[in-house]
Amino acid sequence: MSEQESYIQVTDLDFEYPDGTQALKDINLEIYKGEMIALIGQNGSGKTTLSKCLNGLYKPTRGNILVEGLNSKKSSIVQMVKRVGYVFQNPDHQLFNNNCWDEIAYGPRNIELSEDEVKERVEEAISVVGLPERYHSEHPFFLSKGLRQRVAIASILALRPQVIIVDEPTTGQDTKQSLEIMDFLQDLNETHGHTIIIITHDMPIVGKYARRVIAMAQARIMADGTTREVFTQADVLQKTFLAPPQITQLAQAGQELGFDAGTLTVEEMVEQYVQLAN
Amino acid sequence: MNVSKVIEIQDYSWKYINTRVPAIRGINLSIEEGSFVGVIGPNGAGKTTLAYSIDGLIPGQYNGVKKGTVKVFGKEVEEYAKGELQQLVGVVFSDPEAQFTAMTVEDELVFGMENIGLSLTEIKERLEWVTELTDLSHLLMKPPYEISGGQKQRVALAAVLSMRPKILVLDEPTSMLDPVSRERIFGVLAKLKEEENNTIIAIEHSLENLVPLADQMVLLSEGELILHDETQPFFQQSRLLLEKGVFPPGAMLFFHELREKGLYQGRYPLTVAEGVQLLRGLKG
Repeated sequence: MSEQESYIQVTDLDFEYPDGTQALKDINLEIYKGEMIALIGQNGSGKTTLSKCLNGLYKPTRGNILVEGLNSKKSSIVQMVKRVGYVFQNPDHQLFNNNCWDEIAYGPRNIELSEDEVKERVEEAISVVGLPERYHSEHPFFLSKGLRQRVAIASILALRPQVIIVDEPTTGQDTKQSLEIMDFLQDLNETHGHTIIIITHDMPIVGKYARRVIAMAQARIMADGTTREVFTQADVLQKTFLAPPQITQLAQAGQELGFDAGTLTVEEMVEQYVQLAN
Repeated sequence: MNVSKVIEIQDYSWKYINTRVPAIRGINLSIEEGSFVGVIGPNGAGKTTLAYSIDGLIPGQYNGVKKGTVKVFGKEVEEYAKGELQQLVGVVFSDPEAQFTAMTVEDELVFGMENIGLSLTEIKERLEWVTELTDLSHLLMKPPYEISGGQKQRVALAAVLSMRPKILVLDEPTSMLDPVSRERIFGVLAKLKEEENNTIIAIEHSLENLVPLADQMVLLSEGELILHDETQPFFQQSRLLLEKGVFPPGAMLFFHELREKGLYQGRYPLTVAEGVQLLRGLKG
């Protein structure tokens, strides 16, 4: 099982910003290859800071992060971004080249690969995200947000990281677009073997797609387990000021009628009803 | 008598100058004073264009071709003097940074009130009211660019509320918020609806908080108004909503799926609590 292979180990991690704000406290975490994880928590709970520590943008104030055996404190940004990629919440904060092809080529060029290798990486990334050819020489800003996000993800993929962290992939998207983006990330996970970490406030999306949930509050990890486990720990969730998806809440309130407290999707709940009715 | 209709939109179409097809077309919509209207639809459906049309940003600030009429308090939006309509209609944009100009949150809130010539006492009173309502007192001295996305959305809402507009238009006011902050914003809206008799038009993708508050719902798709009804009968058309890419909240969707399978007849729940009651009824 690929999910048994540990890839990142975080031990006793603290992170303080220069102004003294404690953004992360006592973080201990192990991330395995091939996981599909949702990182949840209130605004300001430390999710984005943790992500930036995982890809080496921020160095721990205390404690250590090992990524494929490399200590983030002693490793260059180049070594780290080849292993853990971070896709910004707003793709516009990340895209700055004049056309999509160059945007995706920027990372590989930056780590000083040969132009042949760059070309191969870009073409591979483009085919994975399915960016139609007519957009390759287009300026990213003329693309829809969904397509811009794909370009942003492609530019990360071109570095071939094992882990891809996507910060709020569905913000500002309608439901159909959100499902398309999540199906795409699921495919990266299942078909291409990437470890995917999404940061999100969208609990129905978490219920439908994530296999593991890490819930943060006030700079700490409050819960870490399978999605079902975390969504059934009402007391812990309350500490993170989060609630499970509405359908899970409904199932939990209907436990005495035989519904499963760990129900994650409407489809599951309907299935249970049909069985209970028979 | 049309006195209570605060917004009347008739055969209205708007085409931006640089696009081929109209952003919205053939819209007919009347909204009564004090009602809370949820506007939903996929991205690109024309929701933001509709919002801009109500506060006169369209046609005022944009080039394009208009057909039909948009009346606010019985008067066409073009007939208002500059700035007059914006005091009646407050818009909270989905990108809060677009509306910030000041160096502190407090200045940001005071700026608008000074601008419409309120007295110092009045400004103080409104500032207190609005910071308490939106829970911003601890952030007043911070620069708007230093606070989080969610806090920015609350400042944007507070800035608009401080102008005490009769009509409030919110364009995805909670898109960046976590579930708790989202609930808090909708709590503020519920208070305004109850205590101030504001007319509120909220554009949202996240329906869980919107549905329990909305008196009416409007569905836009590809520039057209597809459905407008009171909230309960509106969601009875969930099959149509799903066809248009709009997903009802989980509890409601469950009962809808049961109905589609012929296992349930009756109303849909607007909240989890209602869902639980209906669930007990099912089994009982």
